[in-house]
Amino acid sequence: MMTLTIGLVALMVLADAASDILVARAMKQIGEVTSFRPRALVGTLARMFRSPSFTAGIGAAAIHFFTFLALLSFVGLSTVFPATALVYVVATAGAQLILKEHVSLRRWAGVSLVCTGMILVSMT
Amino acid sequence: MKTLLFLAVAVAAQAAGNICLSLGMRHLAAAFNADSGDWIALAGLALTSPWLWAGAALLATFTLLFTLVLSWTDLSLALPVISVEIVVNVGLAGWLLGESVSPLHWLGTLLVAAGVALVVGTARDKAPVQEGQPA
Repeated sequence: MMTLTIGLVALMVLADAASDILVARAMKQIGEVTSFRPRALVGTLARMFRSPSFTAGIGAAAIHFFTFLALLSFVGLSTVFPATALVYVVATAGAQLILKEHVSLRRWAGVSLVCTGMILVSMT
Repeated sequence: MKTLLFLAVAVAAQAAGNICLSLGMRHLAAAFNADSGDWIALAGLALTSPWLWAGAALLATFTLLFTLVLSWTDLSLALPVISVEIVVNVGLAGWLLGESVSPLHWLGTLLVAAGVALVVGTARDKAPVQEGQPA
């Protein structure tokens, strides 16, 4: 049971981070949104849903959601919820390695504090 | 500045959405008799709850704003910044919903706030220029 829990937690965190990274990649490919008029926003939404990265991101978000539900069926929220904070570290590493973002040491320090704080908040 | 403004509105929408959902579910629990087992009535109550509709609309607004921000800023900046929502949520849960907030929760929110402040301070960071690349 322990191995299954660790495996599902890893899948949940990876799927959540993958969702963020894929959506970010899709939005970079679409280009900066500069007009917020309804017609322009509808056009942006249409381009988003035609982007393979964006739809893959939605798929990864669905995997994250159902893995989260599956975990809740046999371990408590107090076990699952702190683990979700790991997504900040994993997504930042993905942004640096896959999206080639420049992540300074100061930003890493901030991300680490956020992750630690989220773990404390989610502990019951 | 534009990034932080959009993220601030997104965080406000998410926090307000969570409060609306929380209030909606409390009203639902008070109005529904679980012993009756009438789940269709429960679905009817949920679908006609203005709190739940407002919560869903606010969370959809959050998702849209966050996605739009990703079109011009780094994920490694936007993602930690939106975690400030937890600070707002813990504050609002204690103040508006009357929930008790433990010292551990306050310590966690303090760390999140400090982390977000550090990350926001890097908003103007640029990648170091590599040799052979134009500055």
